[in-house]
Amino acid sequence: MLLLYFKISPDGKAKIQLQLVLHTGESTTFHFANESSALKDRDATKELLQQLLPKFKKKANKELEEKNRMLQEDPVLFQLYKDLVVSQVISAEEFWANRLGGINNTDPAVVNNKQEVGISGAFLADIRPQTDGCNGLRYNLTADIIESIFRTYPAVKQKYSENVPHNLTEKEFWTRFFQSHYFHRDRINTGTQDIFSECAKQDEKGLKSLVIQGVKNPLVDLLSLEDKTLDEGYGICTTLPSTSNANKTVKESSNSAIIKRFNHHSAMVLAAGSRKGEAPTDQASETSSTDGNSRDSDFFQPPVKKVKLQEAIEYEDLQRENRPKTVALNLKKSDRYAHGPVPLQSQHYTTSQDIINSVNYIRHEMMNYKPNLTEVLSSTAASSAIAALSPGGVLMQAGAQQAINQMVPTEVQGELKHLYVAAGELLRHFWSCFPVNTPFLEEKVMKMKSNLERFQVTKLCPFQEKIQRQYLSTNLTGHLEEMLQTAYSKFHIWQTRRMMRKT
Amino acid sequence: MKLNIEGLLVYFPYDYIYPEQYSYMLELKRTLDAKGHGVLEMPSGTGKTISLLSLIVAYQRAFPLDVTKLIYCSRTVPEIEKVVEELRKLMEFYAKETGERNNFLALALSSRKNLCIHPEILHANIVVYSYHYLLDPKIADLVSKELAKKSVVVFDEAHNIDNVCIDSMSVNITRRTLDRCQNNVDTLQNTIQKIKETDAAKLREEYRRLVEGLKEANVARETDIYLSNPVLPDEILKEAVPGTIRTAEHFVGFLRRFLEYLKSRLRVHHVVQESAPQFLKDIFDKVCIDRKPLRFCAERLQSLLRTLEIADIADFSAVTLISNFATLVSTYSQGFTIIIEPFEDRTPTIANPVLHFSCMDPSIAIKPVFQRFQSVIITSGTLSPLDIYPRILDFRPVTMASFTMTLNTFNVCLCLVALSSKFETREDFAVIRNYGNLLLEMSAVVPDGIVAFFTSYVYMENIVASWYEQGILENIQRNKLIFIETQDAAETSMALEKYQEACENGRGAILLSVARGKVSEGIDFVHHFGRAVIMFGVPYVYTQSRILKARLEYLRDQFQIRENDFLTFDAMRHAAQCVGRAIRGKTDYGLMIFADKRYARADKRGKLPRWIQEHINDGSLNLTVDETVQLSKHFLRQMAQPFRQEDQLGLSLLTLEQLESEEMLQKITQIAHQT
Repeated sequence: MLLLYFKISPDGKAKIQLQLVLHTGESTTFHFANESSALKDRDATKELLQQLLPKFKKKANKELEEKNRMLQEDPVLFQLYKDLVVSQVISAEEFWANRLGGINNTDPAVVNNKQEVGISGAFLADIRPQTDGCNGLRYNLTADIIESIFRTYPAVKQKYSENVPHNLTEKEFWTRFFQSHYFHRDRINTGTQDIFSECAKQDEKGLKSLVIQGVKNPLVDLLSLEDKTLDEGYGICTTLPSTSNANKTVKESSNSAIIKRFNHHSAMVLAAGSRKGEAPTDQASETSSTDGNSRDSDFFQPPVKKVKLQEAIEYEDLQRENRPKTVALNLKKSDRYAHGPVPLQSQHYTTSQDIINSVNYIRHEMMNYKPNLTEVLSSTAASSAIAALSPGGVLMQAGAQQAINQMVPTEVQGELKHLYVAAGELLRHFWSCFPVNTPFLEEKVMKMKSNLERFQVTKLCPFQEKIQRQYLSTNLTGHLEEMLQTAYSKFHIWQTRRMMRKT
Repeated sequence: MKLNIEGLLVYFPYDYIYPEQYSYMLELKRTLDAKGHGVLEMPSGTGKTISLLSLIVAYQRAFPLDVTKLIYCSRTVPEIEKVVEELRKLMEFYAKETGERNNFLALALSSRKNLCIHPEILHANIVVYSYHYLLDPKIADLVSKELAKKSVVVFDEAHNIDNVCIDSMSVNITRRTLDRCQNNVDTLQNTIQKIKETDAAKLREEYRRLVEGLKEANVARETDIYLSNPVLPDEILKEAVPGTIRTAEHFVGFLRRFLEYLKSRLRVHHVVQESAPQFLKDIFDKVCIDRKPLRFCAERLQSLLRTLEIADIADFSAVTLISNFATLVSTYSQGFTIIIEPFEDRTPTIANPVLHFSCMDPSIAIKPVFQRFQSVIITSGTLSPLDIYPRILDFRPVTMASFTMTLNTFNVCLCLVALSSKFETREDFAVIRNYGNLLLEMSAVVPDGIVAFFTSYVYMENIVASWYEQGILENIQRNKLIFIETQDAAETSMALEKYQEACENGRGAILLSVARGKVSEGIDFVHHFGRAVIMFGVPYVYTQSRILKARLEYLRDQFQIRENDFLTFDAMRHAAQCVGRAIRGKTDYGLMIFADKRYARADKRGKLPRWIQEHINDGSLNLTVDETVQLSKHFLRQMAQPFRQEDQLGLSLLTLEQLESEEMLQKITQIAHQT
């Protein structure tokens, strides 16, 4: 049962209602009758559903996607679906009932193997505001965008869980978000206190700590690029604008705020894409401890650096090709490798001398081979056997299939195949009900029997009529009918037994 | 492989060789044979460094008496480290081929933290360090003074060498400098007072040593033992220290007077520009300081600091700066200018006086190097036009050659987009939007990484803000993540690393950066880290600066180089550096997009390096944004085909046999483009 969407009655209405619409198209309407708290109850339900809806949506989408994929990948299944569901022999739910096991059983292995989806770099662009015509702005926010915002800016997520729904409604929260300078980063923080000013501070802190951590690749480290910057006071003074904030114009600091924002945004999007559970700081601290900054001596060059340098000086085309790249065996204790566990029963191994001996023996045998001519077939018997097995021979007579091949037009053949598949599917459902030992199976077997009958009437009979019109042998469907009859008689036996038991 | 370069056996640690590498080694050998200087331009990614090392090491082995040492200077720490790695590879190859361990001693100085003591430098066969160790007299005096005359000096990545020279000889003095200097002088005074009470003989001894020290230096220079120090003029070696600064106390008093004078000069309300002789005349008129003691100032201070046994010289950087200035201003009547600015142009209300003592003549700092060492090689990927370097550095090369990259198919697609960005129109809304559209379109077409360069940081900030307002950046974000260079090096490093990460994991990214910035000068964008480079506008230097104006005037008067020629040359070398960041080898490929119609003009095109010029054809000129996108799509589809060594062999990649064929040797002679 998957929720598609829900509706509520307008506020002014006398009846306070909430309607749920399911994926299957069914809908249920709840009427809140408790006079004193009806409206409050309804709104509380609404809030809850609002939060749950994205989850349902995700699940529903996932299921639909999976079904779609199965139908696309399997033409036989697709045909079956057309034959049985589209022509309303059985309902879609029945059809999927025992096919989708894997999807509904939330098998952790399957779920975890799902590939992480990254975040679009432009998700903020998708919420470009539109004017609503009366001096306001409308932001279109979808569950996906909200998720992107949360994943990219964990600080916002934290604010959300702190404030929604206790202090703010969902709507109020996002309204404030879009009004904040945090969202409009070209606006300078003018000291106004909104709930997001803290986010900006956290971002700033995060950015700083990233910068302080430094870079792992020494070749992009601009700080250690120059061997010797001139001492203070020397050099041509290039007229760089001074970086102190004091004499920056508003325009300039707004510009550098934008630049900072883009760098931060890109870094966060990138990090959100590669983040998988573990905190990114762990990784960074781990690597920084291994590559340290010991630039003092050539002998202690950090490995990252050495690799990067060698990559940088490599001219792959100047080297001869076809040298398979091998991985050097890295032995921590080479003596352990040399004196590994020795097999106790080494005498069971074949020595090379044994092998040479046996080869010699086989060679010897082959050389002295003499065919035993008294025990072979006579030439006449042999040639008649060959004749019987040749095309047209006794043992190669064409079977009944070949006859159908030639007698029946391909289009009819195809139709027959589909009928077989469909009948097989229905029969499978039917027979799987036996032994009928639960009320559920009882109900199912009854339904399946009527399904079979419906199949016979709506599918099989028209086909029979069709081949009759084309003067084809009617025994084409004989086997199908036989199978149905067997099922029917089984059903009758079961039914009479049940009747007897009941009476 | 083992090569025969005009009779010289060269061990080359690879199985194949590029034709241009052979050609490069040939020219290099001829330069060494002639014991002269050379200017060699070869694009990056053609294995310039290993060619240089292979040939010079072979030469040293063959003629140990003619070339005793290789001094390899490069620009950045990673570049120095790469040279060391390549050298290691070469040495391993030698060991493998000859079966004996080479007794070559190579030494790398890659940080002042591990500043090497000079005896080791004297014994090393190869020294690898940064330019400053040779060009900055303050360090050269400590590190490189005694390097043998028969050394070969290589300046790699030398396209900015003139600026390094100028920087090492220029001084800026602010109020803060003078305040710190005042403290230094006070400390000196107190220390002298103390020593006088406890050990007066020490000061007398110092005086004697000072005179002898200078005499020694004179002997050394005459017998050619030392690399001369451009701060230490010849004349003072022959003269005695003038009486006015002979004793320590007198000298400190002299410093005080000089300091007071400088303070008064900083109390100006309008900009002052004057020459060194004008400055000397003024100081004589106002405080009666003569030229002569000024010239001894730097040397006299060093002696005093030694005598007082001051351990941490860094504390005395301010007084050292002032005395270096005193010596320079009184030694060179030409090649320097003095500009005193009372405030920054942008903030005229905030007083922040600065005295700029700017060197305008790069040849002053590099002159001792050319004079002392028998061969100096200036090499880089961008040295065009070749003849300008000998002119501004004032030397006579025996070889000047430019090499191109041989390719079997073009791995570069060059587009000159006809967008305008003249200084007057570049704030124009339409120009900014066109730039944005170009970047947006390219972000949809180019895989992985795109690097875009702007002409200045302020300009980039403004464009980014406009693009943000116009929603262009958001649209670009649909295709790629955006990272932007900032003025904070640590922040930019992080952005760079994230940028690489985004290229690596397939998301793709754009890096917005600045020509002349640290990224444009030091970071390579190999393979997928840079499939396209876009140069927005022509990266002219900020021409309103007074220092630049003075330099341009000097170039015109002294070297007959026209203002516009120099500015265009300077802009083109930076543009070439930017677009060259993305192509770092023959297996690499990428788009180079010059987004400004001025690049199509002959005066601009002609100043680009040959390896860029040869990609310019009628089909790549004056393109619209749409045409650029079509061209790029086509090019990228072609480049997506596998790159195979067989296709290269015999054309852009040679085996030893192929190299030795008569026909190939004939072809190779045409690679080097002599001027």
